[in-house]
Amino acid sequence: MSQFIAATGFGIVNAGIFALAAVGFTLQFSVTNVLNIAFGAIMTLAAFVAYELNVVVGADIWLALIIAAAASGILSVLINRGIIQPFLKRGTSFFGMVVITIALDLMVEYAVEAIWGPTFLHYNVAAGSPVTLGSLSFTHFQLVAIGISVVGMLAIHLLLKRTKLGKAMRATSCDPRLSKVCGIRTSRIHDAGWFLSGMLAGMAGVILGLTLGTFSFTVGDSYLIVIIAATMLGGIGQAYGAMLGAVVIGLVTQWSSLVISGGYSEVVAFVILVAVLLIRPTGIISGVAADRNMAA
Amino acid sequence: MSSDTVTGGVEATRGGSDAVAVAENGGKCILETRGVRKSFGGVVAVENVSIRVPQGRIVGLIGPNGAGKSTLLSILAGAQVPDAGSVWFLGEEISRQNPVKRARKGLTRTFQLSGDLPRLTVLENLLLAAPDQRGEHLWAALAGKRVWKRQEEALVIRARALLNRFDLRKHEDAYVSELSGGQRRLVEIMRSLMANPRLLLLDEPFAGVNPSLSRRIESHLIDLRADGLTMVLVEHELGVVERCCDPVVVMAMGRVIAEGTMGDVRTRGEVLDAYLAG
Amino acid sequence: MSNSDIYLLTTLLVYTGVAMIASWGLNLQIGETNVLNFGFILFEAVGAYVTAILTLGPDTGNGGVQQYVFGAVLPFPVPWLVAMVVGAALGLVMGLLTVRRLRGDYEAVVMLVMAVVAYYAVSADTSLLNGSEGLSLIPAPFTGAVGGGPNTSMTYRWVYVAVVALVCVLAFIVVNRVTSAPLGRALRAVRDNDAVAMSLGKDATRLRILVQMVGGALGALAGAMLVQWVGAWAPGSWTYPETFTLFAAIIVGGTANIAGVGLGAVIVPGIILEGVIFLPTFGPSYLTPALQWILIGVLIVGFMWFRPQGIIPERRRRFPALAVPGTAGESNAVQLVDLEPRRS
Ligand SMILES: Nc1ncnc2c1ncn2[C@@H]1O[C@H](COP(=O)(O)OP(=O)(O)O)[C@@H](O)[C@H]1O
Ligand SMILES: [Mg+2]
Repeated sequence: MSQFIAATGFGIVNAGIFALAAVGFTLQFSVTNVLNIAFGAIMTLAAFVAYELNVVVGADIWLALIIAAAASGILSVLINRGIIQPFLKRGTSFFGMVVITIALDLMVEYAVEAIWGPTFLHYNVAAGSPVTLGSLSFTHFQLVAIGISVVGMLAIHLLLKRTKLGKAMRATSCDPRLSKVCGIRTSRIHDAGWFLSGMLAGMAGVILGLTLGTFSFTVGDSYLIVIIAATMLGGIGQAYGAMLGAVVIGLVTQWSSLVISGGYSEVVAFVILVAVLLIRPTGIISGVAADRNMAA
Repeated sequence: MSSDTVTGGVEATRGGSDAVAVAENGGKCILETRGVRKSFGGVVAVENVSIRVPQGRIVGLIGPNGAGKSTLLSILAGAQVPDAGSVWFLGEEISRQNPVKRARKGLTRTFQLSGDLPRLTVLENLLLAAPDQRGEHLWAALAGKRVWKRQEEALVIRARALLNRFDLRKHEDAYVSELSGGQRRLVEIMRSLMANPRLLLLDEPFAGVNPSLSRRIESHLIDLRADGLTMVLVEHELGVVERCCDPVVVMAMGRVIAEGTMGDVRTRGEVLDAYLAG
Repeated sequence: MSNSDIYLLTTLLVYTGVAMIASWGLNLQIGETNVLNFGFILFEAVGAYVTAILTLGPDTGNGGVQQYVFGAVLPFPVPWLVAMVVGAALGLVMGLLTVRRLRGDYEAVVMLVMAVVAYYAVSADTSLLNGSEGLSLIPAPFTGAVGGGPNTSMTYRWVYVAVVALVCVLAFIVVNRVTSAPLGRALRAVRDNDAVAMSLGKDATRLRILVQMVGGALGALAGAMLVQWVGAWAPGSWTYPETFTLFAAIIVGGTANIAGVGLGAVIVPGIILEGVIFLPTFGPSYLTPALQWILIGVLIVGFMWFRPQGIIPERRRRFPALAVPGTAGESNAVQLVDLEPRRS
């Protein structure tokens, strides 16, 4: 039982990190209709920028997190403006766009390796004493990670439901052409989508680095696939679906390690995903995937 | 849904006076729908449609935008599965057959939008459509050209004859993406003809075509009817329909609101209303 | 040429030939049919593992240093042929899993996920294929006949190059026949617009599965040839970005053009990835591979922008003039309408 509770605890921490990243990934997709594989590399880059600020410059880790997240958001907008939009204007196919974002992913990821090398790094932070909640024991960073994730999800919820920007984003996601006709400046909304998604990627990257303890230049990419799995599980393009998918994947991967070797936890996550895709190819919440004829 | 309910609905509609009227002046029917319905989410695109297509005629399918004409055509061709009702072709129920199977039985369609194969040449477009090609089997392809060369040459000759007839011979090596809108429609029609159709479903073949080419396409269609080809022509320009089609089926808001000859249909108040409202 | 130059050159040639065959297989899928297989590397992996366990013998051999299933010693070329069959079977499975039409990019990501699942599964289970350590000591083929192996005989290395070249020629004939037959036309119709292809009686689902199988067999063959040259195979050899080097080859060389794809394989996996073995080393050991990947990324984005059709674009297929039999010219009399009932 205590093992189960411990696994649940870890599962919740992972779910929090996955949720930040998965919501970022899916939001950007729903607003801009581009599956952005470079998302993983942006997570990695943010983790390393925060390292540079925290360890080399000596800034506080939370300040480093904020700056790295903002920088990731800006980089994402630049990628959108400089590369994605020009290709989209030329009518590059979906496939072409995936290829381009993978190319960007490789470029950023290996640029990180070329600059910082392949070694594992860690932030300069005091470990702090573990916090016990009942029979669960969390590190200080794990708690902060959950906190940031919960606050982040609430913020996204309020943004989408309460603000004009959020409404415009939802409208653009439903029907880009109609939104344009209605006077929504879709290019601004796209920028906002990329910025938000970049910022969430950056936050997730730094928090991943913090909770893992040590990380290398593959950190973002090694989690990207799980994040995509969470996204698809919840139904691509659905912010709440992504949260749900992240919780399912986070918990299931930890629980499964109680039953079979921990090495299989990713396999379990993907088996769930493949099963869902076979039964319901649009994911649990189907709206966007069904509207865009992604699966039939 | 069980097949019993389908047939149950059919008996009810088959007795409908309109359907009988069409059958009476049409003689033998090669295609028939019974109580077909299709909705997309909340939108009912096609509701309880029963039509009959008599052999050797051009059936006009008219109605304002959004009436459900293209959806009905897709149901006939198998690209959409009806929620209820059945489709019969040459005396056989085909409601659940996929478009590939229907195409192989001689049910061929054109598309209102996006019916192009942009990176195939005009001649390749035509060759593609020919049924029963030996060289489409993996083993024949691997065995080499000698296995399929004879048939291919015969098809090239046939395709060029078609191109000559439609005055597009000099464009045979053009990619479809290099042609004008009207020429693309012609390619689509020629391509359908290469498939040896028993029934040709045309979805607004005159849309975006200049008037003189329209006239030519129209006369080609009339020639084809003279050769014995049966067609369903979706169109909302009434002049063309008046000249080519008999009978005419009028749809609005997913339903058939009138059918008969163009002369009959013209006088019906509902039809005018539907057009004014649309 | 010194022995070390021969050593490097033969390695370069074998890798290039292997990549060429794999690229042709992948091009049948993405270039001709628009089956966006981002998990293609799985075929190479399967071909390599099948060949390894069909040549290594029981895993108690070599002092039991590694664990794996089955284990047999089959003579060349049986392991390669079996690898192709298993590759085709895997293609069938991947085809069936994505047979419910998924939108292109979504389908691509699903296949990518499949390759990653396999990667984790193979890495996690040490009893299946020796886990993340991978298999080693895989014997080279026809060493008896040549009298030496890749590490002892330069002659052997040239013989292996010749065998790879021969297989390349055979693979070229296969893909050329498939793409220039009416079958290839049907594949390209599915690529351009599968709804139209289906409305003309082309079974798009069947054709997509078919190219998964043919491409799968070619990918597995590439893996088989590679593993017996290298002698080792581990999950690290087939991480998902490896598929991407093949994509780069196709995009740079020319999508849907066999010669172009071959050229792309020479340029990207050949010269850019393997050619560096001829350069003097510089910087730390990780720097060169990192720069190679960056260069591949730049090449892809650059080609997609400046020359999306690749170095050698897809060929426009023209047909020779033909006279109607028994006459001197063409006709425009054509029987268009077929009133006979037909078989379905
Ligand atoms: N794939 C679809 N998804 C959702 N709604 C559709 C779809 N196809 C058609 N509709 C809707 O069904 C109705 C009929 O459309 P359609 O058959 O194209 O009409 P028509 O061809 O007569 O103009 C319209 O309201 C249209 O918006
Ligand atoms: Mg229409």
